Amino acid sequence: MEVKSRMRRTASVAMVALLGLGLAACSAGEADTDLNPDEVSGEISLLTPIFEGSPGQDLLEDELLPQFYEEYPNVTVNVDYTTYGNLNEKLTTAVVSGLVPDVMLMGVGWIEAFADKGVLADLGELGLSEDTLKESYTDEIVEAGMWDGNVYAVPIMLDTRFGVARMDILKEAGYDSPPSSWEELIEIAEATTVRSSNGSLERAGFDMMSLDARQAFETILFSAGGELFNDDATAPAFNSDEGVAALGLMADLVNKYEVEDIGFTSTDDIVNPLINGRAAMGIAHNNLWTQALEADETVLDNLEPFVIQGEASGMFFGGTLATVANNSKNPEAARALLEFLSSPDAALAANEQRGNVPALTELLDSDYVQSNRFVQFAMENLDVAQREGGPSQWLEVRGDFAPAVQGALLGQKTPQEALDDLAALVQTAIDR
Amino acid sequence: MTTTERHPIRSAEAAAKQGSPSTAPKKRKRISTAEKKRRRAGWLMITPSVIHVGLWTLIPVIATFYLSFTDYGIFEAPKWIWFDNYVEMFNDAVFMQSIGNTIWYTFWTVPVSMAVAVVVAVLLNQGLKLQKFYRTAFFLPQVTATVAIAMVWLWIFNPQYGLLNAMLETIGIPGQAWLVDPQWALPSVILVGAWQGIGIKMLIYIAALQNIDESLYEAASLDGASSIRKFFSITVPMLKPATFFVFIISIIGAFQVFDQIYVLTDGGPANVTTMMTYEVYRSAFQEFRMGMASAQSVVLFAFLLFVTLISRRVTKEED
Repeated sequence: MEVKSRMRRTASVAMVALLGLGLAACSAGEADTDLNPDEVSGEISLLTPIFEGSPGQDLLEDELLPQFYEEYPNVTVNVDYTTYGNLNEKLTTAVVSGLVPDVMLMGVGWIEAFADKGVLADLGELGLSEDTLKESYTDEIVEAGMWDGNVYAVPIMLDTRFGVARMDILKEAGYDSPPSSWEELIEIAEATTVRSSNGSLERAGFDMMSLDARQAFETILFSAGGELFNDDATAPAFNSDEGVAALGLMADLVNKYEVEDIGFTSTDDIVNPLINGRAAMGIAHNNLWTQALEADETVLDNLEPFVIQGEASGMFFGGTLATVANNSKNPEAARALLEFLSSPDAALAANEQRGNVPALTELLDSDYVQSNRFVQFAMENLDVAQREGGPSQWLEVRGDFAPAVQGALLGQKTPQEALDDLAALVQTAIDR
Repeated sequence: MTTTERHPIRSAEAAAKQGSPSTAPKKRKRISTAEKKRRRAGWLMITPSVIHVGLWTLIPVIATFYLSFTDYGIFEAPKWIWFDNYVEMFNDAVFMQSIGNTIWYTFWTVPVSMAVAVVVAVLLNQGLKLQKFYRTAFFLPQVTATVAIAMVWLWIFNPQYGLLNAMLETIGIPGQAWLVDPQWALPSVILVGAWQGIGIKMLIYIAALQNIDESLYEAASLDGASSIRKFFSITVPMLKPATFFVFIISIIGAFQVFDQIYVLTDGGPANVTTMMTYEVYRSAFQEFRMGMASAQSVVLFAFLLFVTLISRRVTKEED
């Protein structure tokens, strides 16, 4: 595994070196059509679900925007902060009122809906092409910002989910490495689960509850070799045999192998169970490393990331991408800001502040990435990472996944029934 | 008697034609300049309110009714689809579940909080020590943001670190995963709703209690009535108008529960705590289906209208 990881790193460095030549004129998001900073002017608005909270605002307003203004002195940026939880409301009201922000940062899986409805500008018309972007990002990441063959968004940061093991606990149980298959995962999870004499759970062998149910399912689904939708995103594919096996594994871990109880952890937990030792393994977000750094540095050496391995490698990525409004009155200024935010320095700073994974391949060698083992691990394994989304109705249906997954975990439905019912809902939305 | 004479209007018309001064139609009352000014001032004073109600209530209500018959996904102009939204809504198992949950939530929160509120109000009306402190304490949840309250309850209900489980475990009762166990999630939400609703009801009951004539209690005391007898024979009947008022506003409030669901459970697990308002929110802001959200709002409105009309009918005599 170490050798494989080193090989990947070497390959990535080589790729960056090669790309360096090609990117001399158009690095990281820089367009084929250059902007003349002196000629770009206007007042633009930025809607952002990242940079929220004091540290984020300080970073944007005290460090990043002053740099942008140095380059584009005639542009003024009005920032509208929000969170991903409220982004739907903000965008909905913006679209309805016709006051769409010039630059919008939104998530993976969001682009399809807004591009399909003509809210977003085709960045190709602003000089950013798919080929240019693919020189700086992996194909899957670029495709997260595309719809119908056109580029609508430039990636800034990624949120990845993968397996994490507490090696001190695993070693106590006699295991020297994280699981490399579902069978091993079940075996180690059972061996590391601890219950008190009255049967109440004290340590989960494998934690899935501190993560959004949809994203946990997607990670396992990808490891089963399954996909969310068919190739042209016209029909659900998550209720395939692979999908049923994935949800079946999750349900079995809870109900059959009893390695975690419903409610033992939740997405509201202040401290992740892998940090305080309430779980031996689990699916986690890459910023667990940053959380551990702040909560208990001593645990860092014991946290080992791993790709969940079933029939395929299961790793999930979401992320934040920058877009420009189709009706922007200052498209050049908006494009300038988009390019700035996705440039290596600004993107690196934003990722570092949130403990996230830079989308730009060239940032693999940055000090931040090299000092954060989880981010480094995520970047080294991006080639196996898959994203959610697909059809333009994704935002409409994604909220239906968690109740379906919960229904199966609670034993209210079999995995097949839960996924078939969900698939029927999703198909109705796609056909609507 | 001729037809004209029998018909008062025709008689007046006939008299007017004949020019009889006694039967001539009354001259329109001349409005004095001062009266005109007074009326103008009145209109001016209510204009902001009329504009406010028109702009923020009337137009949105009309728009909601209109949009409920359309397919409106915010990105495109609304398309008229007659009753399709309603048909889909009533075939949607999750929305039907939300109606059931809302009724169940209302069924428990309203009477429980009313019963507790009336008892607390009576106790606080006895001139206890620290009366003002207790009144403030009971009223505080009413003026505190629900989101803040919900955050506190999230901690109370936390299966591992929560106060509730800690208390139960001290007396040997095993803790529960209150908000994620489908058996306990809705009762937990109901508990928060009932607790939060006590304050305003208590305040109304205290105001009503202070209007009860003391001589009734004095007379009852002279007749040897016990405190419990006085409570049931004097206090409860005299609180009837206030009770009906509290009942109506409580039902309306309960049907509109949203914040605590949004913060505590997100409608989960597996939709067991989803409510009508939460489904409206999901349709509008998660699924971007404004037409469907409007139709769901109309159904919610119909429920509230029905309950209010029934209550009006029941309380007609009291009014």
